[in-house]
Amino acid sequence: MKLKISFFKQWDAILLILLAAEILCFGLINESFLNIKNLLYSTNDFMHIMLVSLPLTLVIITGGIDVSIGSIMGLASIIFGVLWKFLVFPLWLSFVVSLGVGLLAGFINGLLVAYTDINSLVLTLGTMFLFQGLATGLAGSIGASGYNGIGGFPESFTNIAYGACGAVPYAFIFVILLGFLIFLLLNRTPLGRSLYLIGVNKNAAIFSGIKVKRVIISSFIFTGLGSALAGIFLTAYFTSSRSDLGKDVLMPALTSVVFGGTSITGGAGAVSGTFIAALFLGYLKQGLMAIGVTSDVSQVTVGIILIATVIIKGIATQSLLNRMNRLAFKKATVLVNEHHGN
Amino acid sequence: MSLDLGKQTNTKGQLASLFSIWKFFGGIPVLKGVDIDIVAGEVHALLGGNGSGKSTLMKILSGAYQKDSGNIIVNGQSVNFPDPQTAHSYGIYLVPQEPKIFPNMTVFDNIICGMKVKESAFSERVEAYARDLGFEGSIMDNAYSLSIANQQLLEIIRGLVRDVRILILDEPTSTLAFKEVSALFERIKILTKRGIGVFFISHRINEIFEISDRISVLRDGNIVFTKDTRNCTAQEAIKAMLPALDDDESTEISSAKLEAKAKVTADKSEAILRIEHLSGYGFSDVSFSVYEGEVLGLAGVVGAGRTELAHAVIGLDPFSRGKVVFKGVELKNRSPLKCLEVGLGYVPEDRYLHGIFLDLPNKYTITAAVLSQISKPLISKKKEENLAREFIKNLNIKANSADQISRTLSGGNQQKVVLAKILSANPSLVILDEPTRGVDAKARLDIYKLIRELQKKGTSIILISSDLQEIIQESSRILVMHAGRIAAEFKSSNFDLEKITSAAFGLGVSI
Amino acid sequence: MKFWSNLLKKREVVVLLLLVLMIIGISLINPDFGKIDNLHGIIANALILILLSLGESFVIITKGIDVSVGAAMGFAAVCLGLSANSGASVPLASFVAISAGIFSGVLNGVGVAVFNVPPIIMTLGSMGVLRGLMPVLTGGSWVDSVPQSVKNIANVKILSIDAIIWATLIIVLLTFIILKMSKKARYVYPVGDNEEGAFLLGLPIKRTKFLAYVVSGCFAGLAAILFVSQLSFIPMQAGSGQEMRAIAASVLGGVSLAGGVGSPFGPLVGGLFLTSIDSMLIFLKIPAFWNDAVAGMILLVVVLFDFTIRKMVEKENKKQRMLGKSTSYHGSTPQTRKVMEEL
Repeated sequence: MKLKISFFKQWDAILLILLAAEILCFGLINESFLNIKNLLYSTNDFMHIMLVSLPLTLVIITGGIDVSIGSIMGLASIIFGVLWKFLVFPLWLSFVVSLGVGLLAGFINGLLVAYTDINSLVLTLGTMFLFQGLATGLAGSIGASGYNGIGGFPESFTNIAYGACGAVPYAFIFVILLGFLIFLLLNRTPLGRSLYLIGVNKNAAIFSGIKVKRVIISSFIFTGLGSALAGIFLTAYFTSSRSDLGKDVLMPALTSVVFGGTSITGGAGAVSGTFIAALFLGYLKQGLMAIGVTSDVSQVTVGIILIATVIIKGIATQSLLNRMNRLAFKKATVLVNEHHGN
Repeated sequence: MSLDLGKQTNTKGQLASLFSIWKFFGGIPVLKGVDIDIVAGEVHALLGGNGSGKSTLMKILSGAYQKDSGNIIVNGQSVNFPDPQTAHSYGIYLVPQEPKIFPNMTVFDNIICGMKVKESAFSERVEAYARDLGFEGSIMDNAYSLSIANQQLLEIIRGLVRDVRILILDEPTSTLAFKEVSALFERIKILTKRGIGVFFISHRINEIFEISDRISVLRDGNIVFTKDTRNCTAQEAIKAMLPALDDDESTEISSAKLEAKAKVTADKSEAILRIEHLSGYGFSDVSFSVYEGEVLGLAGVVGAGRTELAHAVIGLDPFSRGKVVFKGVELKNRSPLKCLEVGLGYVPEDRYLHGIFLDLPNKYTITAAVLSQISKPLISKKKEENLAREFIKNLNIKANSADQISRTLSGGNQQKVVLAKILSANPSLVILDEPTRGVDAKARLDIYKLIRELQKKGTSIILISSDLQEIIQESSRILVMHAGRIAAEFKSSNFDLEKITSAAFGLGVSI
Repeated sequence: MKFWSNLLKKREVVVLLLLVLMIIGISLINPDFGKIDNLHGIIANALILILLSLGESFVIITKGIDVSVGAAMGFAAVCLGLSANSGASVPLASFVAISAGIFSGVLNGVGVAVFNVPPIIMTLGSMGVLRGLMPVLTGGSWVDSVPQSVKNIANVKILSIDAIIWATLIIVLLTFIILKMSKKARYVYPVGDNEEGAFLLGLPIKRTKFLAYVVSGCFAGLAAILFVSQLSFIPMQAGSGQEMRAIAASVLGGVSLAGGVGSPFGPLVGGLFLTSIDSMLIFLKIPAFWNDAVAGMILLVVVLFDFTIRKMVEKENKKQRMLGKSTSYHGSTPQTRKVMEEL
């Protein structure tokens, strides 16, 4: 029973079909949907979700969760702005330091999760408060609170979010590379394999000599980096550095991961699914907007997809286990009957 | 899903009967058609090793688990218990093996939680039980600071204070001292005089023979026999817990045995492993050596401390003290990883909890300990596949392919997958902890053959087993552990089943 | 003496004392802070948070979490505003608000208790749904104003203290009394403390969890009434971010995220504390930017503290359990020894 492996290939295929169907449907309503150039260009709109959900997949595969991703985004954005504008760092240095902040935040998350036995939801809830508070504090103290933000970035920077190589936006190329790297990590490295092992059976992983703490910390570092990248990207997109950029990111990011096929309880998942699901959800928002449903309202569909996916998966897993038990029972009673027949 | 069960009802005096109970967990059978009943006023002991299914059976009776097939008859009616609440309404209550305490509530609230009674009326009664059983402290204190013995007493009082017709006690004495056990047994006798039936799960033979009226032995999901205690001997009971081989297999094994034994006694060389005054949770002051090429059997009954010792050796017990010297080097700050790196492997007692990655392909488990070796730096699919195939062939693992999901394999094959995982790291010494538990006869044979092959290669083995016949058959030397200490040592010339059994149960003297 | 030491063990008492000390301290620096008017204002501002936190704490006690309370409040507020503006009386509109809150609670409860969806996922999803429904109901715009009758709710004074303050106090006391008297209401504690234990004892786990979310939604509805009357208009982001403050207030007040512990006075004190900090910083002329960070730091420390205590106890138990194995093995009795010797 080649269950899990082929499930993901199946699910990816289904997602692709759904994506294609979605684009076609919206295309019927608004022609620009059928324009490839348009489609590619509009990915900038939800690039930040993709940047954050790809690494989030890693954490969820281990059976954990990270709800602080939004606050790390805001923190990275503000630090980027502060460094560039007030400390007059060159852009690239601000970029690097902001990434470093994301890495550090992820490291703190990972350290806490790996070394205390406290569950990751509670811990990242706590760090979310902390990181958000730091971001807000920093923003406020330099007068960039609320809608103001720090602005005035040069075009060389904002080009990240608007530039393209031909028809393909830079950011999209980047995220494809990122996706590919994470795919490689997950499927072809010991670290990636360890993520699955920990998610399926953490104790067995320990007994097998896997460096569980190190792996868990790494997974959170990746989400921290992804959040920082997303924060910097959004800063370029809005041409403004703000502490609240990540406010509404958690739900779409989680939905991308879960709808993409990754099990919320860990042990199974694929970045390819997250990638396609994020595209699906991103275009969904745009398509709804094209038919007059504002982004405020499109949250409803995302929320429903999130809940429905988890419920349906739960029911499916339960019935699969029931079926396994029934099969095992049949097999066993056949043996018993044969034995009695002798 | 059920078989034709014929006429099933309660006979006179029976409080409950269970017929043909089957239970699977994720396709893995834990109970395979168990029949058992309980009569009013009796203490019915349930004896069996780890993984025999005794707890599962009682959890089904008490509504905590759902049976997959079979029938439960209470008062002549076929009943179904979808949850513990329903079972309670029929007067059936289970005192669990591990205390489930609410640390933020008082002891009293803990005890009467879920009961539909007026609290004020009950406090005297609860207090009386508490004093009677030797519970220390006030029942109005918060429960978080209770000692483990008091926690167990709390669980027992929960059972006593409820209006039950059938009381199930799952290993109630595991942390109690002599005085408390005696008080408990007095209470049980009072209950049975009132016509209450008591199921008493234990692996402690002496307690079972002291308190019970009937004994049922459970092994690997089947009831081996049910007998009146007075018509049963301890020897019978112990023997019933051990796995049985049919004649063909026995001969095959004995012939194989002859071949290996001779070789082992010839090589008596360096001590590859030296344990010096190792103490930890569940064992104290253990010292012994393992010599290169030998199979050291570590015999004992459940609770003797062997698995705890093994866990401490590979570094999973943070509180252990003492020395572990491997290949002449002291191992400090041990961890499973470090041990594997120096060539010390451990195959866990509970493969489901600690060994296998059930919902992943076989090859994932097989390669889990050597991931860095098959990568440079990307995992080589080819190496992974080859490694997995090699072990599948060598260990005779019955799987369709290396990609087959482990959950769908039989228990014996799953055990082999875990073995493969540890062996892939090429250990010089392997600790096998109950390697043939829950394993079918053919696979067991394969594992014995494997032990001999390993010996031929020069690998040293520590064999932990509760199957004393198996230990005698496979070992070059036997150590017996009892209550956390080494009780006796037997050289191969002196292997004597009865003496070893006595030592395992804490009687008799080492030779 | 024991009474006082027991009292001090309760988190809400400690936090209350801390709060009182802080108020006194700051009043010494800036006497305007200690004025009744100011304190009254702080309390009035804290009411919404207190109510949200009270509902949230039921969920947290069952070891769940509800991140939709802010959205539920916003949703209920919109329902209240719209029905009031179309002529509903104050009682009717309030009923609508509470019903809307209960509706969101039922949604969450079904997802978590019946379908076993992890609480974070379920409440995140329902948060999105509720937030999205708000503009659907209002047609995309804010609810600019509400009838005077609704605004008046916040204006009524009894004994020169806002009626809504009295009302909230009564609600807290009622909650306390109900918990003391109803065994079924108290089931939230064992369910959160040790769900497996609660299961084996036959407690109605699904029902208890379901009801906890319904209560949370109900309180969000109540909070909405206060919100609308105090603010007198309903922005589209109404309630956004409130859930985090509600969780923080609960945790500060002693409702541990580990579950099984907490009293209704916790949210009361925690809500007051959090609201006071904002005002305190103003009066001390400290820019308020960093207070979230400070609160965040405090919260993280509290969470770690709560859990560490819990884990230390568990570790101690584990230690004892293993020690128990090696030292208290029940020796053989004369009868059984005889049996064994026959081997």
